[in-house]
Amino acid sequence: MADVAMAETSTTSPQSPISKLTNGTTDLAIHDAEMLDTEPNGVSLNGLSSSKPPRPSVDVQKPIPYTFDLGHLLCLDTNPLPPHSTESDLTSIARDAAQALINQLLTTLTPTSTPDGVFLPLPAPSTPLPREKPVPAEKEPTKWERFAAKKGIKDKRRDGKMVYDEGSGEWVPKWGYKGKNKEGEGEWLVEVDEKRESETGEAGDKRRDGREERKERVKRNERRQRANERNSRKSG
Amino acid sequence: MLRQIVPKNARSKRALEKKEPHVVENPKTTLILRGTSCSQIVQLALADIHSLKRPSCIKFTKKNDIHPFEDVSSIEFFSEKNDASLLIFGHNSKKRPHCLTLIRTHAYKILDMLELYLDPESFRTLNQFKNAKCAVGLKPMITFSGTLFDSPTSNAYTLAKSVFLDLFKGHDATSIDVEGLQYMIHISAEEEVDGQPPPQIKFRIYLIRTKRSGQKLPRVEVEEMGPRMDFRVGRVREAEESVMREALKKPKQLEPKTKKNIETDIMGDKIGRIHLGKQDLSTLQTRKMKGLKRGRNDIDEDNATTLVEGDDETSPKRERLEQLEA
Repeated sequence: MADVAMAETSTTSPQSPISKLTNGTTDLAIHDAEMLDTEPNGVSLNGLSSSKPPRPSVDVQKPIPYTFDLGHLLCLDTNPLPPHSTESDLTSIARDAAQALINQLLTTLTPTSTPDGVFLPLPAPSTPLPREKPVPAEKEPTKWERFAAKKGIKDKRRDGKMVYDEGSGEWVPKWGYKGKNKEGEGEWLVEVDEKRESETGEAGDKRRDGREERKERVKRNERRQRANERNSRKSG
Repeated sequence: MLRQIVPKNARSKRALEKKEPHVVENPKTTLILRGTSCSQIVQLALADIHSLKRPSCIKFTKKNDIHPFEDVSSIEFFSEKNDASLLIFGHNSKKRPHCLTLIRTHAYKILDMLELYLDPESFRTLNQFKNAKCAVGLKPMITFSGTLFDSPTSNAYTLAKSVFLDLFKGHDATSIDVEGLQYMIHISAEEEVDGQPPPQIKFRIYLIRTKRSGQKLPRVEVEEMGPRMDFRVGRVREAEESVMREALKKPKQLEPKTKKNIETDIMGDKIGRIHLGKQDLSTLQTRKMKGLKRGRNDIDEDNATTLVEGDDETSPKRERLEQLEA
């Protein structure tokens, strides 16, 4: 297969007429900018001397106009191909399509010049293509969120982490280091709860009780969080 | 189905989050596989597709005992394992010579499949064309020529159009550098003729050369870059309608937010409606007439009010006033 292929490629080797034409080309960006000031000269030269070759045409005429989807840089040509079309037929059809697509891109879109180059803003693609994965599902509401929605409870306005401490006359954090929720846990001296001592026979420690209660609340909340996560995974 | 992984550290959590469905999706990854028997021609074709599709492409080299139209389970496994939703499976057999199966998946399940039989006679690889190649990772221009690609009913050719577009469209860009318009993929098919085998799909890639034309638009010339492939259409498995509808769904977040009182009409003109307050008509300047003009003499406000009723110079009231003044 390989030797057959190599023999045939001579038709598309650099000696082809197309590649000869392309020797003096520049890229589109420079081309477009320079075109404006070179145009008047070109016109006058053409008018004076008829020896110059005629301008290469840039418009494409087809019985059925092309349809474009510029978001995908797509051009759809619904003109029927000639039967038993050769490679050169295909090349000319491709050239016309490329010319039409580039014309469409440069005429309908407004280019913006940046130091990095000339950019064309592309519209959103209109050809529908399937997604890779489904649209992400909405997040499952937590048990509290469902309850709040049922009861019509709105989110509280956040009023910051700091609260005013009446006793010391200072602003202290609600939680965390030296937090308000740890009030009384660091006292060096606490009163004995007489009533409790008479009932249970134990004095009890206000400092320890407060800490245990706080730790218990944290644990409860973590349990609820885990339950919400589990439920959302089950349903979602 | 892969086992459910519970992330134990932040890195694996990030990796799992990357695989989750997103509102704005990443470019699809292509996975190239080969079957147990895979001819040299098909292997060359797969290598060329891989080099065109870089960098969002994975190519496996080991042989896989897969028959996609008989059993899809291993294809779905590969799709999930590699997070790839476009797969190309190369295979060769006497019944299906030089066969490339293009497969699309949605949510790691097979969406549609298309078999294309490569014509070994006309196949040319990328390197057989001795010219400069385009840069890696550029968004190509794509053109489809032929009436078959625009059929209102879905057939193998419209499916091929959709799959080829999905395969080669590259990343979704909001703007493109003009210098990046370097190459064009041209896919064409001739007319369908009764009594003859269905027409081949001809896959060509051309480099774009632009010339000065003396006008604002450049003259475009094309030069074939390769590869050159001609395909016969083989078996087709179209997507189930419900799955396709699900796959084509657009997320609500991406819909443009409608602004109140701003519309775009069919001509593409933006129309806004503004509500003004009630106009104060008491200060309205109406037509100026000589008769309505205030005289230079009536400085006195009281007199002016009395004068309003009678315009006529010879009214009895006016006479009386003049008498009083005198």
